[in-house]
Amino acid sequence: MKAKDRVKSKDKHILNLADIVGGARSILYLKEDLVAYDCDGFTIHKHLPKAVVFPKNTQEVAEIIKYCSENNLPFLARGAGTGLSGGAIPLNGEIIISMVRMKKLISVDLENRRAVVEPGFVNLKLTNSISDKGYYYAPDPSSQYCCTIGGNVAENAGGAHCLKYGVTTNHILGLEVVMPNGDIVEIGKDGIPDAPGYDLLGLITGSEGTLGIVTKITVRVLKNPEGKQTVLAYFDRVEDGSQAVSDIISAGIVPAALEMMDKTAIEGVEAAAFPVGHPKDIEAVLLIEVDGIAAGIQEQIDQILEVCRKRNVREVRAAGSEEERARWWANRKTGFGAMGAISPDYLVQDGVIPRSRLPEVLSRINQISSESGLRIANIFHAGDGNLHPLVLFDARKPGESEKALEAGSQCLKVCADVGGTITGEHGVGIEKREEMRFVFTEEEIAAQTDIREVFNPHNLLNAGKLFPSPGRCAEVKKEMKAQAIS
Amino acid sequence: MIAAESISTLKTFFRENQIVHNEASSLFGNSGDVVVSPETEEEIAALLKHADSNGLTINIMGGGTKRGFGGLIEKTDILLSLEKYTGIVEHTPGDMTLTVKAGTRFKDLQDYLAQHNQKISLDPYWPENATIGGIIAANESGPKRLGYGSARDAVIGLRTVYPDGKIIRSGGRVVKNVAGYDMNKLFIGAMGTLGVISEITLKLRPIPKCESLVLISFPKGNLAGIKAFAVKVLDSMIEPVSLELLNPALSDKLAGINAYTLAMSFEDVESSVRYQEEFVSNMLPDDAELLISPKEKADLFWHRFYRHIPNGLDGELPIQTEASLKIGTVNLEALSVLNETELLQDQFNVEIESHGGLGHGLSQVTIRGAESDVANAAAQVRQIAEKAGGYAIVKHLPFELRKKVEVWGNKPSYFFLLQGIKTKVDPNKTLNPNRFIGGI
Repeated sequence: MKAKDRVKSKDKHILNLADIVGGARSILYLKEDLVAYDCDGFTIHKHLPKAVVFPKNTQEVAEIIKYCSENNLPFLARGAGTGLSGGAIPLNGEIIISMVRMKKLISVDLENRRAVVEPGFVNLKLTNSISDKGYYYAPDPSSQYCCTIGGNVAENAGGAHCLKYGVTTNHILGLEVVMPNGDIVEIGKDGIPDAPGYDLLGLITGSEGTLGIVTKITVRVLKNPEGKQTVLAYFDRVEDGSQAVSDIISAGIVPAALEMMDKTAIEGVEAAAFPVGHPKDIEAVLLIEVDGIAAGIQEQIDQILEVCRKRNVREVRAAGSEEERARWWANRKTGFGAMGAISPDYLVQDGVIPRSRLPEVLSRINQISSESGLRIANIFHAGDGNLHPLVLFDARKPGESEKALEAGSQCLKVCADVGGTITGEHGVGIEKREEMRFVFTEEEIAAQTDIREVFNPHNLLNAGKLFPSPGRCAEVKKEMKAQAIS
Repeated sequence: MIAAESISTLKTFFRENQIVHNEASSLFGNSGDVVVSPETEEEIAALLKHADSNGLTINIMGGGTKRGFGGLIEKTDILLSLEKYTGIVEHTPGDMTLTVKAGTRFKDLQDYLAQHNQKISLDPYWPENATIGGIIAANESGPKRLGYGSARDAVIGLRTVYPDGKIIRSGGRVVKNVAGYDMNKLFIGAMGTLGVISEITLKLRPIPKCESLVLISFPKGNLAGIKAFAVKVLDSMIEPVSLELLNPALSDKLAGINAYTLAMSFEDVESSVRYQEEFVSNMLPDDAELLISPKEKADLFWHRFYRHIPNGLDGELPIQTEASLKIGTVNLEALSVLNETELLQDQFNVEIESHGGLGHGLSQVTIRGAESDVANAAAQVRQIAEKAGGYAIVKHLPFELRKKVEVWGNKPSYFFLLQGIKTKVDPNKTLNPNRFIGGI
């Protein structure tokens, strides 16, 4: 064995795990290497893993899991680490099973509209691999250029275009999963729909890596729509913009995307890298995209323009060129990061509301903003009611992080109170464990943890995520706040 | 047989006319000694709790169309009928969501929603009789699943009564939701073995502005040619909401065309629908014939379609024995399933009507004939499905025959998980015992 392949650790678990994955180049165990894995896209809570292993195939994943399970070592899976709710954070000093080496596109079968990928395969690469033949993979989270499909399955990721095409769960046809005891099971063989039995495919998708570790995924791929057009509309009053959203939907149009940004969000995106010249004094901008058969697009665009005009739109127009359309979308898709241009720090929230309640919800969020003294920008997948309040704060100012967390939680309470929910696409993770109580009773939470016990009886896999733990909750909240402040 | 004391207990929380002694026997089984018809969710919960804590078993029934679907017990102690638990709980047209009680008939719902230019994007069989609860519990879908998805795509929230009487909500009233496990999926298609779904929240779609049906028939029955055409359609820019192949017998029954026929639906704005009709006309193979039906004729075709398979309603007994199977394969394998099941007609002296979705991989085969012939042919359909790499489940068969023909096929390798879930949720096997795969 070459010197660089030797593991410099006396810990027998590290040595044994290194053996499973084939030596020192497939495991990290030194503190300086582990620091990069102490959190994911949710950076408020941090904890070091015991080690990070990089398996190359399902067999290695199964052996790692069997080893962890037999030795009572907590473990979890990690993709690109872009998750926004802390699902991949090793709260209990887990062994992190990184899926980044399992990144093959295994097969593509366009006639039957399916593709098989390994979990570490990057979302956008799938579309890029089949676009020359006129096909694509629909779920498009904003991080799609780097997030993995395995992570998308764990979180049931969404995106701007899920209004018409659905979220990840609507596109998953089959999974190979390693159970927490090391058994390998295949669900939805060959992507054949409606396998007899309970729908485990649907249950595992979105379970935030707490029921098993996915090692192979069969996804549905779609034919590119023939035509596409985007409309931009400026409204002086948020109520008018909101009403226009409802009117478009009521008119029987199913847009591919229907996005809204409020005044503060507009200020952010205009100050950042992709400004398009949105006026600063409007209350809402809408971005409406229609796709489908080219012959039918103009009819729908005309109708959208008419609806907006009836709702006192200040200005409304369809994109004049593909370049203009792309600029509008770049401005919107980089919206979260753009807040960095007007605030040192920001916290993203992910509530969902019945879209007809938008004006009321926005006014209550404004109230939260003025009470907390923090600005809140709103970026909204208006078509499906998924609201992203961005709480702007300065972590250097004492107490402000704590206030931001509190304001974020209050925004979710507002969403829950109007009949909505606390997360539409980012997941619960660590971040929203307590907020689960806004939407579920103790009995309903217990019904879910009962199901977890069937799959993950010793709770060694990704423990401490998704569900509030009755005794510890107050303590964890305090700890989170302490960390946020430090 | 349910004990007299139990009935007296039930009479303390149900009115006289909600409890009916059931002496009759049904051809399809899945019945009960007494029929109880709750009118509220509290009553459903009270009934389940009583049964669960007194060792009684319950069969659940909606409209009764699926009485012949699974189940090896002729009569449980109680038949819970949801026929009196009906009505819309909430409809917010602006949000395009609907919450409805499980016993509501599908057609009633669609008729109501049509006044708002909206609909549920499912197309199940027997819409006048089937209840929304039964459709969801059995995961029913039709040819338009290609365009609109299935129950798992349309349901956004459920209220489910657990066997111990707890009410468990899953999902919610919004169309995008990842809070906690996606428990809706667990109850959809669970055949009522985990709980009684009491309320269902669905996302709705607008009624399309224009609809048309294009029937393309292939008189020579050249399967390779049909496949080549289907592949070309799937690879083109057009977006049919159904691409369903009918066998000659079914095509004859529904449209008077005795040949393999592809039923393609287009639903969109008018300019798009006309363009797609034109597009298909231009790509038509030489040996195929095309018939474009406007909405009225298309409606009539679909009306017949959704009523062509047998159902479990009590009525006039059919002269022949009837069976209906659902087959799942990789999409285009539906072609070979249809082709091979045709041969069973001569082999077993049965009549076969079949259709398969070339864009979604689900086929349905209806067999009619003498009892033993139907049983043998049904068993053969499973072999055909498995040879094609798929599965077959028997959706409709008289009770006596279900003891001879395995309804669900082999247990999957992960059966321990299915059983584990059942044991957690319904440890006493109170609900729909032995109705589902592997005796769950």
